[in-house]
Amino acid sequence: MLSLEAIYVYYGVIPAVRELSIHVESGRIVTLVGANGAGKTTTLKAVMGVLLPSQGSILYEKEDVTKLPADKRVAKGIALIPEGRQIFGRLSVKDNLILGAYHRKDKDDIRKDMDWIYCLFPLLKEREAQIAGTLSGGEQQMLAVGRGLMSHPRLLLLDEPSLGLAPNIVTEIYDVIKEINESGMTMLLVEQNITMALKVSDYAYVMETGEIRTEGEPDEIMKEERILEAYLGE
Amino acid sequence: MLSWEYILQQLFNGVVVGAMYALLALGMTVIYGILRLIHFAHGALITVGAFCSYLCFMKLGVPFIATIFIVIAFGAFTGIILDVVAYKKVVGGPEVTLLITSLGFYIFIENFMKLVVSPQPYPFHPPEFLTKIYSNGITFRAIDIFTIVVSIAIMVAFQMFIKKTKMGKAMIATAENAEAARMVGINTNRIISIAFIVASAIAAITGFMWGAKYGQISYDMGFIAGVNAFVAIVIGGVGSIPGAMVGGFVLGMLSMFSVAFLPPGFAAFRDGIVFFILIIILIVKPSGIFGQKAAI
Amino acid sequence: MFHLEKNRTLLAVIALVVLFFGLWVAKATLSKYVVYIITLIGVYIVASVSLNLTNGYTGLFSLGHAGFMAVGAYTASLLTFPVKLRTIFALSPLPTILGGAEFQWPFLPAVLMGGLAASVLALVVGIPVLRLRGHYLAVASLGLMIVITALAINLRDITRGSIGINSIPKYTNIWWSYAWALVTTYVIWRIVNSSFGRAMKAIREDETAAQIQGINLLKYKLLSFAIGAFFAGIAGGLYAHHTGAIRPYAFSFNLTFQIVIMVVIGGQGTISGPAVGALILTALRYILKPVEESMQIYGLIELIYASLLILIMMFKPEGIMGRRASRART
Repeated sequence: MLSLEAIYVYYGVIPAVRELSIHVESGRIVTLVGANGAGKTTTLKAVMGVLLPSQGSILYEKEDVTKLPADKRVAKGIALIPEGRQIFGRLSVKDNLILGAYHRKDKDDIRKDMDWIYCLFPLLKEREAQIAGTLSGGEQQMLAVGRGLMSHPRLLLLDEPSLGLAPNIVTEIYDVIKEINESGMTMLLVEQNITMALKVSDYAYVMETGEIRTEGEPDEIMKEERILEAYLGE
Repeated sequence: MLSWEYILQQLFNGVVVGAMYALLALGMTVIYGILRLIHFAHGALITVGAFCSYLCFMKLGVPFIATIFIVIAFGAFTGIILDVVAYKKVVGGPEVTLLITSLGFYIFIENFMKLVVSPQPYPFHPPEFLTKIYSNGITFRAIDIFTIVVSIAIMVAFQMFIKKTKMGKAMIATAENAEAARMVGINTNRIISIAFIVASAIAAITGFMWGAKYGQISYDMGFIAGVNAFVAIVIGGVGSIPGAMVGGFVLGMLSMFSVAFLPPGFAAFRDGIVFFILIIILIVKPSGIFGQKAAI
Repeated sequence: MFHLEKNRTLLAVIALVVLFFGLWVAKATLSKYVVYIITLIGVYIVASVSLNLTNGYTGLFSLGHAGFMAVGAYTASLLTFPVKLRTIFALSPLPTILGGAEFQWPFLPAVLMGGLAASVLALVVGIPVLRLRGHYLAVASLGLMIVITALAINLRDITRGSIGINSIPKYTNIWWSYAWALVTTYVIWRIVNSSFGRAMKAIREDETAAQIQGINLLKYKLLSFAIGAFFAGIAGGLYAHHTGAIRPYAFSFNLTFQIVIMVVIGGQGTISGPAVGALILTALRYILKPVEESMQIYGLIELIYASLLILIMMFKPEGIMGRRASRART
């Protein structure tokens, strides 16, 4: 479904991502793991269109979206749940969800999706009218996921969903991730918490300083502990 | 001299002037919220609006209602030009570049007006029905009532827009986090353009009211207006829309009072006083009345 | 290495000699009007190079430069004003500490006093104002300039209000002007290449990082601001004794803007930039002046200035003499 072919993404003159090639098959969960600064977030941003690669191409459902701006990619079915939640703190929970469906016009389906999200995250329904900035970290993460889902995506990008959250909340979030995937959603996941991530993934890439060091099925990656030690400092 | 009537009169004047400052501050704060830019050229839009009204109503004899629409449209148009030609190119660059460009645009518009129209001030006469004078304890003209009513109407309409419409919410979202806004499918460039259109249209109408209030318009009328709008934003709290409006009224009344109570001959100090107020606020409570950011 | 050092000093001396020879030739051969303009360029160089220290090197966007020039101009003029003319122009005689009623100051000390007054004001005002950043600082400094103008208009007993002071002795000539231009450039150059300069540039790049490195923000900002103001005051004094007359409105936003444009178009953060900017813009002004007057299209010059500024900001923001800094953007 998604294919990155030898992309380069620069910050000024520094290449944050070099000659990166990744494939994500429809319906699968693929994970990018690596230490801080490996270029994982940059990769997700490039897929979302928030950053544009200077070389290489991004193919989504066989279409070249490399230079397409972010807001147009949402309409194509890509959504990013960014690192650090980044919900709209000044607006209410409900408004955040409404904005998630910004590009959509189908009022009834929007309503249905919102009900579905309230099913996944009953807490959000409780706090519908609350100002998002006053939610706890875990609640904000749920809202961020919910907001992303409101755009009715087919490819969901998640950037460090467990960052800064208590272990039981992390488990909750990952249960939801599994549930969403089971309903057919393709996902590209970035995580530093490798254990959790490799548990749910179908395939994984290990990144270091902007390049892919190794890739494979989760159990293979887990076995290569020495590599993990070297690259992730465990 | 300090009779009740005098005080009430000054209070009333302060409210009228404050309403205009509030409108200007509103436009400026919306643009600041989204672009993090003090749009210096905003003040120049008052000049544009004033001269446009002059041209339509006084020179060409266009009926009043039509004039108002033309002024709004022309203001919106100028806003688009500023957005597309000016800011789109420098947005995202270093803050200093944005600032300087903004200044450059103000100077450009001001001198464009000076060149195209005249370096001399023009007398400004609003339509007959707005010049009626009422005296009932305090003296005021119909234009004053017009100004207050229209200002409040615009402010209320704007609040509704921001709070209730999808696009209004998108504006708040973009102001808070433009990158996240793009991630949910908001076309932030279009939001910026809309902000410019709305703010500029409002400023243009304020130009008409300003000219009517002071009886004359000149190419440099936008400078002090723009600077005062900035002070109003700081008083009310940068980044806050209600703050901008409250700040405008507070500033209007403060400047009226200071002029009223200063010894005669110190009128030129009025502008200076505005700045004293600004500096004091920036030292004592930089976040203003409704301040959202602690550090500047 | 030793040879290079010696050569550089030699080169500098040669350049100086050439410059002054050139000025001498100019004064001897060109018309009074052109010499007037060339002298004026020198004054603007003092103003723009000093503004560059504050704006270009320290990153403090100050719009108050004209205010400091005003302080310098008025101070110097009031000190040098001929005793005989004082009563005619209703200017009070100098108080005893400044020399008494029968004294008029010579040129150099008066101009220096102007600079000193301006820098003292900068220090005093800087303490509260320099805590601000970005546009807040810009508008606050603009406000300072407005306050100074308002004071100049209202303190009629000292400044003669909006009428201004005329018949100021025209001491400024091409030699004074360019001597000061060279002094200013040299001082700024030395500062920029010293540890002070490094601290200022660090502040410009990233204030938080600078703080973490132990740089006392306020101290360096004040220093930069005050030195900039000092030379602005000098420029003001020179200006007053060049045109022979000053009014409060001469030191308005337009003047500040002109100096800012010279710095920005020439190249912020470069040594030669402001001088280049001063040269180009002043020359442009006097070339276009007859056009403006004959066709009665006032405002043309400022319009062109503004257009140039906008174009430079869009296409070459580092200015004519500037080099694009390749910075990693996060």
